[in-house]
Amino acid sequence: MLSEPRDGLLDRYQPGGAFDEAFDADGSVRDTYSRIVERFRELDVDEIRRLEKLVADEFRRQGITFTVYSEEEGTERIWPMDLFPRLIAAAEWDELARGLSQRVAALNCFLADLYNGGAAAVADGVVPRWLVMSSQCFERNAMGIAVPHSAHCNVAGIDVVRDTDGRYRVLEDNLRSPSGISYVIENRAAMAKACSWLFYDHAVQPTEQYGQMLRSTLQSMAPGGEHDPRIVVLTPGIFNAAYFEHAFLARSMGVELVEGRDLVVDDHKVYTRTIEGLVKVDVIYRRIDDDFLDPVAFRPNSTLGVPGLLSALRAGTVTVCNALGNGVVDDKGVYPYVPEMIRYYLGAEPIIDNVTTYMMWDPDQRREALARLDELVAKPVGESGGYGVLIGPHATEQQLDEARARIEAEPRSWIVQELVQLSTLPSVAEDRLEPRHLDLRPFVLTGERTQVFPGGLTRVAMRRGSLIVNSSQGGGSKDTWVLAPETP
Amino acid sequence: MILARHAEALLWVGRYLERAETTSRCLNYAANSITHLRAGEARAEGELMVRTLGLQDELEAVGPLESQPQLVAFLLSDTDNPGSVVSAIVAVRENLRSVRDRIPIELWEEANGLYLRFPFLGHADAAPAGLHEVLLMVRRACLAISGVLNEGMRRDEGHAFVVVGRMLERSIFTVGLLEASHSDARGVMDAARMLRLTSSLQAYHRQHGNAPDTHGVVRYLLHAPDLPRSLLSCLGRAEEGLTGLGPNSAALDRARRKAALLRARLELGEVEEAMASAPVATLQDLAVQLTGLASDVHAGIVPPLAMATVQAQYVRPGGAGKGEGAG
Repeated sequence: MLSEPRDGLLDRYQPGGAFDEAFDADGSVRDTYSRIVERFRELDVDEIRRLEKLVADEFRRQGITFTVYSEEEGTERIWPMDLFPRLIAAAEWDELARGLSQRVAALNCFLADLYNGGAAAVADGVVPRWLVMSSQCFERNAMGIAVPHSAHCNVAGIDVVRDTDGRYRVLEDNLRSPSGISYVIENRAAMAKACSWLFYDHAVQPTEQYGQMLRSTLQSMAPGGEHDPRIVVLTPGIFNAAYFEHAFLARSMGVELVEGRDLVVDDHKVYTRTIEGLVKVDVIYRRIDDDFLDPVAFRPNSTLGVPGLLSALRAGTVTVCNALGNGVVDDKGVYPYVPEMIRYYLGAEPIIDNVTTYMMWDPDQRREALARLDELVAKPVGESGGYGVLIGPHATEQQLDEARARIEAEPRSWIVQELVQLSTLPSVAEDRLEPRHLDLRPFVLTGERTQVFPGGLTRVAMRRGSLIVNSSQGGGSKDTWVLAPETP
Repeated sequence: MILARHAEALLWVGRYLERAETTSRCLNYAANSITHLRAGEARAEGELMVRTLGLQDELEAVGPLESQPQLVAFLLSDTDNPGSVVSAIVAVRENLRSVRDRIPIELWEEANGLYLRFPFLGHADAAPAGLHEVLLMVRRACLAISGVLNEGMRRDEGHAFVVVGRMLERSIFTVGLLEASHSDARGVMDAARMLRLTSSLQAYHRQHGNAPDTHGVVRYLLHAPDLPRSLLSCLGRAEEGLTGLGPNSAALDRARRKAALLRARLELGEVEEAMASAPVATLQDLAVQLTGLASDVHAGIVPPLAMATVQAQYVRPGGAGKGEGAG
C-alpha cells in the first residue's frame, strides 16, 4: 500500500499569499503537520484515487448525501471529503474553545436580556434598538417565554477563519439550526476506515461522543428539571437537505425523530402520536425554522409545524431547542455589535475578533466601503450558506455597480467586510496536493453548562483560488483533528 | 412506544420487501416460460402472471401486453406500477429512510445498496440486458435485508410491524396465486408452476417425494405448518407479530382475532372442506378476509385518541430546505 519516499504529491506545493496551515512562508512544514506531511509524501496519485474511491463508496453505501437546490429540483450528491486532514494543536484549540465559549455566553446573555430581561443592552445603547426591532428574525412571540438556565442557544455553530497572520476571526454566528455536525462524525469514521494508518502517529480527540453531549444538554433543558425527559428531534421530513443529519442525531441520542404531523398539542401540552395513544414530550430539538413551527402563530400554511406549540411554550410544559427568536443574532447586521456585547455582559475583551465590518446604515462607513467595494466583500444580512455574497475582487464592474445600487437602496440589508484571504491547506487536486482555502465551523453546546465539541466542520473550497467553501456551492470538507495535549 | 408514523412505515417496509422478492421470482419464471410459447399463449401467460400478482388495475392503465419486453418493463421497472420490482425497492428504501433513526445502520445500507444497483431507475422502458442476473441480484439482496432484519434488529414493536407486513403480503400473494390458477380459462394451473412461484418445489418433493398433483399442492400451500409461504404458516406468524402490539387499540385487537380465526378455520379443516366443493368461492372469501385483516392492521396504527390526520406534505426539493435555516 505504501511506497518508498519519492517525488510526489507535495513536491511542487506553493502556499501562496494566504496563511497556510501546514507550511510556513519559506516552505517549511509546521510542527503540527510534520508527520502527516511525511505520510502523504509516501503516497502517489493512484493510491490517493483508490482511497478517495473507498471513502466515496462508503458515503454512497450509507447514503451520506446533501442536497443542492437548483431552480426547479434538488440534486442529491455524495458528501465530498478531502483526504488531507486539518490538524489543530491542543494549545491552539484551547484558546479557540475559550473564545467560542465566551462568544456564545455573551450571545446567550443578549438573547435572555432581549426576550426576558428588559433589554438592558438595548436601553444602554450597546445595540441600537431600531436595528434589533427591524431584524426580520426578531421574534415578538418569544418575549416572556421562560428558558431554562437562560440558555437560548443550545447548539451554536460559529464560523471562524484565519487571516493572513494566522489569527482566528469569527466570520458568522449561527444560532438557529446550525447543520454539519453529522458530517464531522462521518468524516472521521470514513477516515478511520480508509486511512487508519494516518492516525498511528497522532493522539486525536474522538468525535463519537457528540450524541451523548447533545443528549445531556437537552436533558438539562427539560421544564421543571424533569430528570428523565422525553426528547424528540423535529425534522421537516425526508426531503429536507439536512434530513440525513436529523436522523443521525436522533439515532446517536437514542430518541425519536418526529415530523410535525407526529406531534399534537392538547391542553397546552405537546404529545407524540404513538400506536398506544398520546405520549407527552418534554424537550423538542427542532430543526425547523421559527416561521414554520406553529401555523397558528406563524405561517398559517405551514404543514411542517405543530398547531398550538406556542401555547405549550408559553405554558412552560415543553422546551424548544434552540429557543424561539435566536435568528436576531444570526442577522449579520447585529454581528458587528457582538464584541461590544462581550464587554457589556462579561466585562472582558473578546478572545476572538470579528472580521472588520462596515455597517451600511452608517453614511460615512457606507461611503468609504462603496468606494472600495472592488476590494471588499458585500453580504446580505439575512442570507446564509454563501447566497447573495459579492466578493469584490472577483466581481465584474456591472456586478459591482448593481451591488452599490442595492446597498444604497436598502442599507439596513447589507454589511460590507474586509476580504479575508482564508487560510489554506494542502488538498487533493488533479495529480497532486494544492493549497485550497478553508474555514471552520465548531459547535458549542449550552444547557446547564457549556461544552465546546472538539474540532468542527472544516469546509474547503475545491477550486484553486476560490473563497467559496459552502457545500451548497461546490465546497468540500476535511476531517478535523484536535490533537491531545501530549502531541506537539 | 412506537410512533404511529414509524409503525406504518415499517409495516410497508415488510409489505414492499416481500413484494420486491415475489415479483422478481414471478417475473423470472414468466420470462423463462414465455420464451418457449407462441405469441397468443405468451400473452395469456403474461396476463395470468399479472392476475396472480393482483395488478390488473395497474395493467389497465398501460394497455394490453403485446410482447415479452413489455411484460418485463411492466413488472420490473415501471415506476407507475406500484407492484413493479423497482417501485417496491424504492418504497422499501423511502420507508426505511423515514425511520432511519430507529433501524440498524446495516439494514439501511443493504436497502440503499440495492437501490443504488439500479442505474436504470426512472427509465421505465430500459430493461437490463441480463434480466436473470438482475432478478437474481434482487432476490439475494432481499434475502440479505431479511437477514439483517432477523439478526440485527431488536425484537421491538418496529420489528413486529415489519413481520406483520411481510406475512400479510405473503398471505395475500399465496391466496391470489391459488385463486388466479383456479380461475384461468385454460384450466387449473400446473401444480409444479404453483410450487415454483412460491419457492416451494424442493420442499414439496422432499416432503411428499412424488410428482405434484394439483389438489395436493393447493392443500400444501394452504395448510403446511412448516412451509414459510403457506397460508397457515403466514397467519401464525402474523398473529404472533400482532400479539403485544397496541393493547389499547381495538382495530389491532380485531386484526389479531381475525388472524387467529382464519388460522383456526385452516387447522380445523373447514377451509379444506369448502375447497372440495367450491374452490374459487372459498379462495375469493379468503382473499376478502385477508384484505379485511390488512385494513384492520392499518387502522390500528392510527392513535386511539383520534385527532385529525395531518396530510403529509413534505418540503419538496426546490421548494425549500426552507423549513430549516441553511445555517
